[in-house]
Amino acid sequence: MAGEALLRVENLSKWFEVRRGLLAPPLTLRAVDGVNFELARGEAVSLVGESGSGKTTLGKTVLRLYEPTSGRIVFKGKDVTKLDGKELLWYRRETGLVQQDPYGAMPSFMTVYRILEEPLIIHKVGTREERREMVFKALEEVRLTPVEDFAFKYPHMLSGGQLQRVAIARALILRPSFVVADEPVSMLDASVRVEILTLMRELQEKLGISFIYITHDLSTTRYFSERIFIMYAGHIVEKAPSKELVREPLHPYSQALINAIPDPDPENRKRLRNVPPGEPPSLINPPPGCRFHPRCPYAMDVCRRQEPPEVEVKSGHVVKCWLYAKG
Amino acid sequence: MGDVALSVRGLRLYYGTRKGVVRAVDNVSFDLRRGETLAVVGESGCGKSSLARAIIRLLPRNVHTYEGQIILDGQDVMKLSDEEFRRSVQWTRISMVFQGAQNSLNPVLKVGFQIAEPLMIHKGMPKEEALAEARKYLRMVGVHESFADRYPFELSGGMKQRAVIAMALIARPQVVILDEPTSALDVITQANIMNLLKTIRSEWGLSYIFITHDIALSSELADKVAVMYAGQIVELAGADEFYTNPQHPYAQKLMASVPSLRADKKLEFIPGAPPSLINPPPGCRFHPRCPYAMDVCRRQEPPEVEVKSGHVVKCWLYAKGG
Repeated sequence: MAGEALLRVENLSKWFEVRRGLLAPPLTLRAVDGVNFELARGEAVSLVGESGSGKTTLGKTVLRLYEPTSGRIVFKGKDVTKLDGKELLWYRRETGLVQQDPYGAMPSFMTVYRILEEPLIIHKVGTREERREMVFKALEEVRLTPVEDFAFKYPHMLSGGQLQRVAIARALILRPSFVVADEPVSMLDASVRVEILTLMRELQEKLGISFIYITHDLSTTRYFSERIFIMYAGHIVEKAPSKELVREPLHPYSQALINAIPDPDPENRKRLRNVPPGEPPSLINPPPGCRFHPRCPYAMDVCRRQEPPEVEVKSGHVVKCWLYAKG
Repeated sequence: MGDVALSVRGLRLYYGTRKGVVRAVDNVSFDLRRGETLAVVGESGCGKSSLARAIIRLLPRNVHTYEGQIILDGQDVMKLSDEEFRRSVQWTRISMVFQGAQNSLNPVLKVGFQIAEPLMIHKGMPKEEALAEARKYLRMVGVHESFADRYPFELSGGMKQRAVIAMALIARPQVVILDEPTSALDVITQANIMNLLKTIRSEWGLSYIFITHDIALSSELADKVAVMYAGQIVELAGADEFYTNPQHPYAQKLMASVPSLRADKKLEFIPGAPPSLINPPPGCRFHPRCPYAMDVCRRQEPPEVEVKSGHVVKCWLYAKGG
């Protein structure tokens, strides 16, 4: 991590109430439960987890699209956990979001031009002519050229890949310093994915934006981020530099995740993969202690009773597991 | 390995639409041996799922052309009427696990009943006996048999997937078509399902046709790989050959676009998109995206060239004197 942190998240939780009926007391779903991390200026981090691990909730809570249940979010030295009104508008301008489903994320009755101009209008940027120039430049940046051909089209006239480029242009048009991209390519064709991710990475580096790239696909993360966070059942269980995490995963869950992913290899068909049975726990009634213990091959007594601490095993490599705790 | 279980020759499936005829499967041929797995890979919209539907004859209403030979154990089952095919082939000799299988279960029927249905419908087995079989198969795929009396919403994604696999196996087919059998599942669950499919294959000597867009995943089961592009097989090779040395420019590009978790490699992508199947480009259908396209590729359909024994490439680059 170079330089000062742009974003610091302390013990952040987001719980949802799940109603079961008129009279029954609501249940609590702990989607994000006590998460800590820092993000440096211009740094890209991948947040990896299975569906239901809380990664999207974490992304949206950090952007203040969900109200945090507890904890603190500090952005540019300023506590943004409780901002509202004008100051929240400032935070909105400083941040951006690219969503998973580009079709759902675009109003179908607006042209691409209007979609891109909207954030500029909301934040009162420039005159009409200046905005026009900015919109065209944004389209050029995401290589939707010739821009005149794309600017006046409606979302349904574009392919998924083209639409996701528009979504990226929209997220970047206000030049935010922090962007969350939530599974930006999972709905796109395999051959287009690399193209979109490469484009995102180029813009992120060129503009010096900090990025959280949320994905369930560990194999692409190494190419697009400096660090990887692994999430399981509402907790971040491991944080490490990308290459180190893939080469030397420490948390038993990270190890399982990496074991589960094949590379194209004709030998694969001759062997079984060493993966734990079962599926992630319910977040309404998570297991006590470490949430991975029911599936963990190394589970000890303490894992069943007490939540594991976060241990910095090496500089910049943190793991939430009793196996690495001193004593 | 042993003898041929399924042989497909010149299979065509065209759909009639208002915009024209969609050539989803266009002259496809391959052999599948007993106990062997053929992986069919390619981008979406290249005809993979249509190929599966053509083999098990689950066709939509707008079929324009459906022809070729499907030889199962020496019998050309294309010659059977729909009724005969349904009674003597579908599910009992060829079965299928559908894409998004977790959603293909009927939400208002108990899981056990749905697994037992193929036995009752295709084999005429009495209900009680069929339900007992369903419990046995559920146990075999690693789900506790008490789940037979539950409804689909009470099962997790991985358990539903296992139930659907049990349904495909219960009538004891020789050939099982797996159409993206783990899409929408998490990677660890996916690996568990792959382990299950491998175990069943080696115990039963089943043949699989494994359809996927994920090249890395295809290597989990494939003994042989067919690469489909725009309704045609452009490369067909043994797994050892294919994953180390793909020959067709499309197959090479596809392989280069696979992100690797372990190896250091540069990622590439294939510019452009697969062509329309209504009006495919003349000559080789890949020529507009091919870096090696020559004059002949634009004019004439490439021949199938056997570059090595059992390794066929449909490309002018490998044609003699071409």
